[in-house]
Amino acid sequence: MTNERRRVAITGVGMVTPVGNDVATTWESLLAGRSGGGPITLFDASGFSTRIAAEVKGFRPILFDDRKLLKFTNRSHRFALEAAEQALRDAGIRPTAADATRWGCAVGAGMMTADFDDLALTHAHGAAGGEIDTDALLTDGPANDPLVFCRGQAAEGLALLTRRFGIHGYGTSVHTACASGGQALGTAMKLIRRGRVDRVLAGGFDSMISPIGIGGFCLLSAVSADNETPQRASRPFDATRNGFLLGEGAGFLVLEAWDMARARGARIYAELAGDGNSLSSYRITDSPPNGDGPIQSMRQALADAGAIPAQVDYINAHGTSTGMNDRSESAAIRAVFGDDADRVSVSSTKSTMGHLIAAAGAVEGVVCALTIARGEMPINANYRERDPDCDLNLVVDEPRRQKVRMAMSNSFGFGGSNSCIVMRHPDDVDGLGAGGTPS
Amino acid sequence: MTRQKVVITGTGAVCAAGMHPQDILGVILAGSTAIAPIRQWDTAAWPTHLAGEIPDLNPRALVADRKLHKLIRRTDLVGLYAASQAIDHSGFTAWRDALAPEEVAPCNDRTGAIVGSGAGNFQNQYDFFPLMTAAHGDLHAFGRDLSDNVNPMWLLRTLPNNVLGHIGIQYNLKGTNACITNHSVGGTLAVIEAMEALRAGEADRIVAVGHETPIEPQMVLYYHRVGLIASEALRPFDAAHDGSLFGEGAGALMLETAASAAQRGAPVIGEVLGGGSVSEGLGLLAIREDGDGLARAILMALDDAGLHPADVGMIVAHGNGTRQSDVSEAAALRTVFGDAMPPVTGFKWAFGHLIAAAGILDTVLALEALKADVVPGIATLRTLDDACAGLQVSAQPRAPRSKLALILCRGFAGTNAALLVRAA
Repeated sequence: MTNERRRVAITGVGMVTPVGNDVATTWESLLAGRSGGGPITLFDASGFSTRIAAEVKGFRPILFDDRKLLKFTNRSHRFALEAAEQALRDAGIRPTAADATRWGCAVGAGMMTADFDDLALTHAHGAAGGEIDTDALLTDGPANDPLVFCRGQAAEGLALLTRRFGIHGYGTSVHTACASGGQALGTAMKLIRRGRVDRVLAGGFDSMISPIGIGGFCLLSAVSADNETPQRASRPFDATRNGFLLGEGAGFLVLEAWDMARARGARIYAELAGDGNSLSSYRITDSPPNGDGPIQSMRQALADAGAIPAQVDYINAHGTSTGMNDRSESAAIRAVFGDDADRVSVSSTKSTMGHLIAAAGAVEGVVCALTIARGEMPINANYRERDPDCDLNLVVDEPRRQKVRMAMSNSFGFGGSNSCIVMRHPDDVDGLGAGGTPS
Repeated sequence: MTRQKVVITGTGAVCAAGMHPQDILGVILAGSTAIAPIRQWDTAAWPTHLAGEIPDLNPRALVADRKLHKLIRRTDLVGLYAASQAIDHSGFTAWRDALAPEEVAPCNDRTGAIVGSGAGNFQNQYDFFPLMTAAHGDLHAFGRDLSDNVNPMWLLRTLPNNVLGHIGIQYNLKGTNACITNHSVGGTLAVIEAMEALRAGEADRIVAVGHETPIEPQMVLYYHRVGLIASEALRPFDAAHDGSLFGEGAGALMLETAASAAQRGAPVIGEVLGGGSVSEGLGLLAIREDGDGLARAILMALDDAGLHPADVGMIVAHGNGTRQSDVSEAAALRTVFGDAMPPVTGFKWAFGHLIAAAGILDTVLALEALKADVVPGIATLRTLDDACAGLQVSAQPRAPRSKLALILCRGFAGTNAALLVRAA
């Protein structure tokens, strides 16, 4: 192991989102602010207080075609396998028998266990009176079906990905609610820095658009109930915001040791340059209004990247469109960036694709990589009414086109975990020392 | 970049065999097992009856704050209990209380938590059954009557990262953090990730926790159906081994940079020397017969620590009692240690398999055993399985070769992890 810290390159990206089942389609939608919100079609949601969500539409695993493996997947796993396949194809490299142990896999996985349909069968068979009859489980279909068991395991996504793509190095599955995806990318970056692996397939996947998932959020009054205007329901930082729009999907990236990516002539979207993690330790569902918690994660990520706020041109905000998150995040951006907060462009792409929960940080990591690679910043859709507590330089109406030197992605989760990752333009990496400071 | 030395200043543990590390080691050394008939539900008609349940689990004895009980699950109770034990054992809070006021916030920002948690359970979803009964299969009614039938905090109770969030709030920890939901290796990976974060200077101290309470009907049934549950006892490496048995509980370690421990004059229990983790990539349940993944994880841990196989004084095997895992584990140990193998033991036979908490509880107990200068025997071992030949296991206690223990941990998704610690 060398003493010099290895740099990490992003060389492949993949996305399955409510606004596109691939990267190109999703990107066009994000630039145009074309919302993925609509009435829930996956089940009869007519009785719920919130009857809208941002569903992935018309999805058939196109690139991913292993029928045998598909039997072991739930909806979110299928998104993951597809987005991961996209990312590997995009990177033009995949694990081989010779280098399988030098590949890692780090994923943010969702929190759901059994699918609702299986739970309904178990209810009908063994809990018709409302209480479970444990002896009835012995003859229950889903409770004796190994496939239901596998699909419900938290490590199943990791198992499917490492098997499908032949990854034999460090594998990990993390969950810090809405910060999961960001935390997975940070973990992946550090695996390469430590020299444990040379390449990592990293990402997140989730789908909670089910009677229990949406039900859980309805009970907490966390989701917008603007059932008549689903495409306007997610309006981060707007004074009239009233909850998030639940999305689903997956985002994956191929990360590589910088020198190896350069050596093979790979196209590098961006350097994954810094990672910061903090705990708010305030309330399980909120950050404090003054931004304490997110402030530390953002500062740590910048320090880790050897960067200062003046170098950052774009922030992909966590921006859930809930009252407290957006206020707390705005305060944190102000605290970290000071006067630079007037300059740095901010948007929450949750305004367009909704909140992908455990996948959010990963998909938004892809968005930041594209922002740098294409010099385009997607809009914060649906912004109309200024909230004085959210005093940010938001990208509204039109995408902004300029060189993005550095981009930052925030992800804050229930439980108080705050994740921040920072990326750097590849042209700005040459001439920097290993630790991120000018050599 | 110089790598920080990582020391252990506090431990905590709870499982069926006791509420403290010393008590649990006492049960192991006495050769008695805390595995007993399941009491949480009637298993008279069930094909399997045994597990290591914490007897008479009293929520208030585990977590004093009663308001919290509505927001968390059984698994969170044991996790918070072990984490508190480790933090309190390290003397951290008393030291922080004596800091000048302006030093407290920076201290909190430099103190983190990393948790291995058993994400997902089935029982928690049964909370929707009364509503489903009332709705008669009509989803419209299900949605309409939701808030009349289900605890509004249901989703928060479901969070896999509750121990992380609540230990943070309880002790005002604001530093680096993670929650790893990676089946059995979660707790071990929490220690490895904490070690790496401390080495890299991301924090001054981190409490690492692993917790899980998997003994619920549907989970036990699944493990039985896929052939992982033992018929009458957990007998690692024995000719009659035929499966594992669940346990429940948690383990925790307070880890610090050596500089932080020295600065606050904390007593050092031991040191985390290195770790390794790899995947075999065969899917959720399959494992390689040749022990390839485990052997690679051990070699990676040794390399990470700059040590040789001969330096290892004792090995705490995963030893989960399933034939497939035991035999491949023996193969991995033969590959790495050959005929110069130190004494090998395992603890699961005494209190069951704690899944996400297994590896970190084993680590806590390894430190306790090294302190007592003993390698505990595997009391349920009668005749070594021929396929495990060469494995240096015994039913009797032996002396460790050095103060250095290798702890092994294996989980679903073909994940294998190895950790090296030294007792002070």
